[in-house]
Amino acid sequence: MLGEFEYLMLTAAARLGDEAYGAAIRQEIEDATGAPCSIGALYTTLDRLENKGLIKTWMGDPTPERGGRPKRMVRVTPKGVEAATSFYNAVRRVSRGVAWAKS
Amino acid sequence: MGEIMTSIGWRLADLVSHALDPHERDAVRGDLSECRVNGWRAFHEVLGLVCRRQAALWADWRPWLALVVVVLPLGTLLSHASRSWADNSVLDISLYARIWEWSYLTYPGWRRELFRAVWSTVLGAAALSVWSWTCGYMLASISRRTVWVAAIAFGLVVFFATIGTSTLARIRHDEFSGHFYGVVLPRLFRTAFVMVPLFWGIRSRRKGLIRPSMLFIGAAVVLILTVLKSPGLQSSLIWGRGLYGDAGPDRTFGTSDDPRPSWPVVVILWPTAYILATAMPNRQRRVDA
Repeated sequence: MLGEFEYLMLTAAARLGDEAYGAAIRQEIEDATGAPCSIGALYTTLDRLENKGLIKTWMGDPTPERGGRPKRMVRVTPKGVEAATSFYNAVRRVSRGVAWAKS
Repeated sequence: MGEIMTSIGWRLADLVSHALDPHERDAVRGDLSECRVNGWRAFHEVLGLVCRRQAALWADWRPWLALVVVVLPLGTLLSHASRSWADNSVLDISLYARIWEWSYLTYPGWRRELFRAVWSTVLGAAALSVWSWTCGYMLASISRRTVWVAAIAFGLVVFFATIGTSTLARIRHDEFSGHFYGVVLPRLFRTAFVMVPLFWGIRSRRKGLIRPSMLFIGAAVVLILTVLKSPGLQSSLIWGRGLYGDAGPDRTFGTSDDPRPSWPVVVILWPTAYILATAMPNRQRRVDA
């Protein structure tokens, strides 16, 4: 079963599609949670997800706004989609009837 | 002022990021630039990632092997040896600094004594340096990716393993009431003849600077210096750690007939043995080719 932060990262990467990379995923998570997301947590979780086969990463092209440095691009694999779907369904099932789910 | 501080933060972030793999360093640095974080937050975030990466490396057995086989035993031996020789050298240095007159050189006895003092200090410094170099080389061989953490741990052991102990020189003389001779100079001695050679050994191994043939010559030098300085090495433990044993036939501690533990010599030489053992297959492959 995925962890909470792993689910956030998979979801953010899936939403971003072809534009999913480190800084963009970080921004998505911070916008969704309202809390800062550390680079350390982000990159170690990327490694963990890749080791589990849930994402694929590769080094993208450098850009001027990044000082000519490349991005670490992310794509969710079918196995990652399945894992995220499973997590989402589990959260929905366990949240049935609770007060905050009704609102 | 704010710009200066943020610039310092970015410089520190860049410095710390060298502990990351090159690809990751570029990606992280680029992400932080794109997010327009200030320098200190960048430093904090990069430091956090470096700490996580280092912690993950310590899940392997190699860093622990380096800790148990090199850092703790050899750091402790070098801590005692360096402190003992620093104190003895400082005794001579402070004496000559306070009473020196050039006319002393006209007396054969003074010249012999001066030569003895200089030779003893140079030999001690040379022995410490080669022992420390072999420790650095071995650390970098066993665990390349955690070598800097291991080196810092080694430094902590060298500087703090002697807390609660003393030396014969320090007990017998009140020359050490001064801060410079009692505190500063011994620490400089340890830094110059233990920590600097340690880092040089690490760098030599990482960059492959030493040819296998030079390692054999170096091993011979280490062996000669160890033979010359092994009584001092053993004494530094006896007097430093109170490992008093038999006083020998003359019933007096501290004389040359006292039996001394032989294990410190074995321990101080095992990095050299390891370096030779790992250098020999490379040499054999070249010969066979």
